[in-house]
Amino acid sequence: MNIAVLLKQVPDTTAKITISNGKVDENSVSKWSMSPYDEYALESGLKMKEATGGNLIAITCGPERTKKMLTDAAAVGADTLIHISEDKVLDSTQVQNLLATVINNNEIEVVLCGKQAADTNAGSTGPGVAEILDAACVTMVSEVSFSENSFISVRPSNTGTEKVSTSGISVFTFDKGLSELRRPNVRGIMMAKKKVIETIKPEELGLGEDSDRIILQTQDSPAEKEPGQIFEGVGEIPTIVSKLRNEANVI
Amino acid sequence: MDYEALDFYEVDSLLSDEERMVRDMVRDWVDEEVIPNIENACREGIFPDEWRVALGEMGVLGAPLKGYDCPGLSYTAYGVICRELERGDSGLRSFASVQGSLAMYPIWDFGSEEQKMHYLPKMASGEWIGCFGLTEPDYGSNPGDMITKAEEMEDHYILNGAKMWITNGTMADLAVVWAKLDGVIRGFIVEKNDPGFSAPEMKGKHSLKASVTSELVFQDCKIPKDRILPGVKGLRGPFSCLNNARFGISWGAIGAAQACFYSAKDYALSRIQFDHPIASYQLVQNKLSWMLREITKAQLLAYHLGQKKDDGKWIPEHISLAKMNNVDIALEIARVARDIHGANGILDEYPVMRHMANLESVKTYEGTHDIHNLILGRHITGIQSFTREI
Amino acid sequence: MRFTIIAEMNGDLLHPTTYQLIGAISEIGSESIVICPNGKGSSEASKIKGVEKIISVNGDCFDLFDGSAWASAINSVCEGTIVASASPNGREIGSIIAAKRKIPIIQDVTAISSGITVTRPIYSGKATETLKINGDSVITLRPNAFESAEVGNDAPISIVDQTSDVRVAVIEAINKASERLDVTEADIIISGGRGMGSIDNFSHLESMADTLGAAVGASRAVVDEWGMPHRMQVGQTGKTVSPSLYIAVGISGAIQHLAGMRSSKYIVAINKDPDAPIFTVADYGIVASWEEALPILKSELMKLS
Ligand SMILES: Cc1cc2nc3c(=O)[nH]c(=O)nc-3n(C[C@H](O)[C@H](O)[C@H](O)COP(=O)(O)OP(=O)(O)OC[C@H]3O[C@@H](n4cnc5c(N)ncnc54)[C@H](O)[C@@H]3O)c2cc1C
Ligand SMILES: Cc1cc2nc3c(=O)[nH]c(=O)nc-3n(C[C@H](O)[C@H](O)[C@H](O)COP(=O)(O)OP(=O)(O)OC[C@H]3O[C@@H](n4cnc5c(N)ncnc54)[C@H](O)[C@@H]3O)c2cc1C
Repeated sequence: MNIAVLLKQVPDTTAKITISNGKVDENSVSKWSMSPYDEYALESGLKMKEATGGNLIAITCGPERTKKMLTDAAAVGADTLIHISEDKVLDSTQVQNLLATVINNNEIEVVLCGKQAADTNAGSTGPGVAEILDAACVTMVSEVSFSENSFISVRPSNTGTEKVSTSGISVFTFDKGLSELRRPNVRGIMMAKKKVIETIKPEELGLGEDSDRIILQTQDSPAEKEPGQIFEGVGEIPTIVSKLRNEANVI
Repeated sequence: MDYEALDFYEVDSLLSDEERMVRDMVRDWVDEEVIPNIENACREGIFPDEWRVALGEMGVLGAPLKGYDCPGLSYTAYGVICRELERGDSGLRSFASVQGSLAMYPIWDFGSEEQKMHYLPKMASGEWIGCFGLTEPDYGSNPGDMITKAEEMEDHYILNGAKMWITNGTMADLAVVWAKLDGVIRGFIVEKNDPGFSAPEMKGKHSLKASVTSELVFQDCKIPKDRILPGVKGLRGPFSCLNNARFGISWGAIGAAQACFYSAKDYALSRIQFDHPIASYQLVQNKLSWMLREITKAQLLAYHLGQKKDDGKWIPEHISLAKMNNVDIALEIARVARDIHGANGILDEYPVMRHMANLESVKTYEGTHDIHNLILGRHITGIQSFTREI
Repeated sequence: MRFTIIAEMNGDLLHPTTYQLIGAISEIGSESIVICPNGKGSSEASKIKGVEKIISVNGDCFDLFDGSAWASAINSVCEGTIVASASPNGREIGSIIAAKRKIPIIQDVTAISSGITVTRPIYSGKATETLKINGDSVITLRPNAFESAEVGNDAPISIVDQTSDVRVAVIEAINKASERLDVTEADIIISGGRGMGSIDNFSHLESMADTLGAAVGASRAVVDEWGMPHRMQVGQTGKTVSPSLYIAVGISGAIQHLAGMRSSKYIVAINKDPDAPIFTVADYGIVASWEEALPILKSELMKLS
């Protein structure tokens, strides 16, 4: 079975984000990492590969620096590494089309990815790719397994969780999974170093660029918080609760 | 807060991708498994068995050795591993140094083919632990005068004598023991169940508490003939091992220093006295900037030494300089960091006093600071000054 | 410019965010077509100001959640710019509709202006970006980021029957007693300190945590002296957390405690000592005993849900 895992490289969640001239300064990002939910997708893909004797194909779309993440994936067991090399920021449709084309070219039966990437936190990629592939899609799963020609996954429900089954090509987007993520080891790292990364240019996939439908105007630091307010007694609690709801949007 | 390793000159950018991946692997493991448990291990005076298993699983034991299921990494990678381990604790790094450089290395370099095939794979995987017996109660800096001796019998050797200060001794499955056979120093592999061999633990250390230190006692200890290391005679045997271990220590000490710097900087920024963070006072900044300076120099020294070691263009004196310097500054940095932490610095809540106490051992073992001075003195002048006879 | 809103449901009722979606579009001067999946909430929605018409899309495919089946059914009646809630289901349906229509999707928008230009947080709120969209798109709006539209309308309701293939089958429902979250995972944390008086009083924090879906944390004093589990400890020698909201109750705010929580987005402190250092990092401080403050806080929170 060919298992695809879609991986995105993002600034590490601990990294500081600096803005200069109305744009996030990518050069100042101290550490780039695999997006955390993608790590669970990868782990689950490795388990599935071990259980089915399959082939795990790690795919990413992004600039040169993202290759490092593919090598990291190889160090824990990814078999094939595909880098769609693109320096520009693409919109959701463009990214999904590139990924779906590569998936189609590789006869893949199941696609795993994170429920959202830690940069935009959007969560559009999995479902969008599923639509283009005409595949079944289950989001926010915590585990997936393959048995008797169908995929069994666990997703949240109103009352807890539910096990759902899909058959045919399926896309799963991962929430934090149940299993512990595996660590690489030296042997894996040495093998990963030798692994060839297949680099594809978007043009080679026959996908011309659409005219820019999304234009980035500015990136900014988040609005400064107001200085703290201290209230004597309990009289202002309703005000505080309403500020938390309406201004801070945290409840 | 996540650990951020001080690397002012971005020396790590000179590492290969593979070396950086190994670094990240070990660093993450130390963050997740070692730092949260180290104080407990020290309090109980144990080396947690999970650490042995994890080091084996990561595949970092005997890092620069090739073949026989050994990792086959560069010496630079070995240095990086030592640095990341010692950022956690010098005791942890000691375990890895002894296993890799002092026990696996002599078998790899001086052992018979059978010995290599028998011992190395199991030692690389961490299944078997090794130790290294050179120092004796009466012979520390001067091991050449050791009194432990071996006698050749018809179909075995008999060992008599005692070794002291042996890291991993009590937990070891095998010991590489240096003893005199007809007056010549030879290496022997002694297994833990060999008759006449015992390895009682030495208790009461104020330093390297998470490392096991033992005596090795040989009372008519009988070992088979095929346990002698055929490939070396004389002090060159133990000294080649020490060169490799010392190389690792010159990197390791930087890890301890980075941990102390990190804690001191964080503390200085958050500790408020006289209405301001103590980091805003010039005296404290002077201390921090001194640490930065020394760590940066030590990093450049270690990196360059790694390159020389990988290129095979090194002499033992190069290693002496780096071991001596880097341990020395790390120890001083730990002391200054302890000072910056005020009273909190003496608590086991902060790593500084632990590193400080650990580094006292590191300064002494693998050739004391002054023995390395003497090695360099001899190199400069051509005159040895270890003993009075010139 | 035309806008189609996909109503967000809460069981059989409209979810309050539906009012906000409509309010946001009214604010930029447009009326919206509102789609009610399976007709739920359609008569309620027809009364909201700013609604041009309601389309109730009915079909079996809405019996269980299969994002692609829902999206197929809903897509057939969408036009123009499509707006949904940035809830998990809204995001999924939105993504699939965008892919069907080959138009881009922008998720989790917190501000919108005509034209249209949208703003969204990126890097977990460490920055924001403003994007201009040319042509049609799907946008999902962050709940509670927009003013609700008011009631006072009587928009027409049309009904469309739709079927679409469901490819997901539920084979087992696993009900879970709601487990309390771990502090490192929770978006809201309520922590108690020595000021809680005794370990038994933590039940007050727990019940409030349940209301909010929050985790309960503790200061070290409480962990050491009353034997609370160490995994609950927040601070330098405990967990480092940065939730959206951190509520500290009866915690003085020692530097070691602050080290673990000061990067929280919003901090609320309840302490009876006005000089307690916790107030130096609080966005909102309540100088009162918890005995007085918690019941009021809890009832205010209850009013919201
Ligand atoms: C925790 C720990 C673990 C160890 N692990 C091992 C191990 O695994 N295997 C092993 O074989 N050994 C081990 N050792 C022993 C270590 O290598 C010795 O302690 C070291 O070689 C120094 O010997 P000594 O302690 O006998 O000191 P000494 O040699 O007695 O030295 C005492 C002092 O005298 C100075 N000195 C000695 N000779 C001269 C001279 N000629 N001129 C000027 N100054 C001099 C030294 O610099 C030092 O300051 C370990 C030691 C420690 C503390
Ligand atoms: C090295 C080190 C590491 C440490 N690590 C941590 C750590 O990780 N986490 C941590 O929390 N601490 C840590 N500490 C301990 C820290 O210094 C404080 O001792 C601890 O945080 C105090 O806990 P507290 O705020 O609950 O208690 P207190 O400081 O005793 O504060 C209790 C507060 O409750 C208020 N109060 C009393 N009654 C009421 C009432 N009825 N209603 C409302 N308010 C009331 C009081 O005004 C007071 O401000 C560490 C200390 C050291 C030295």
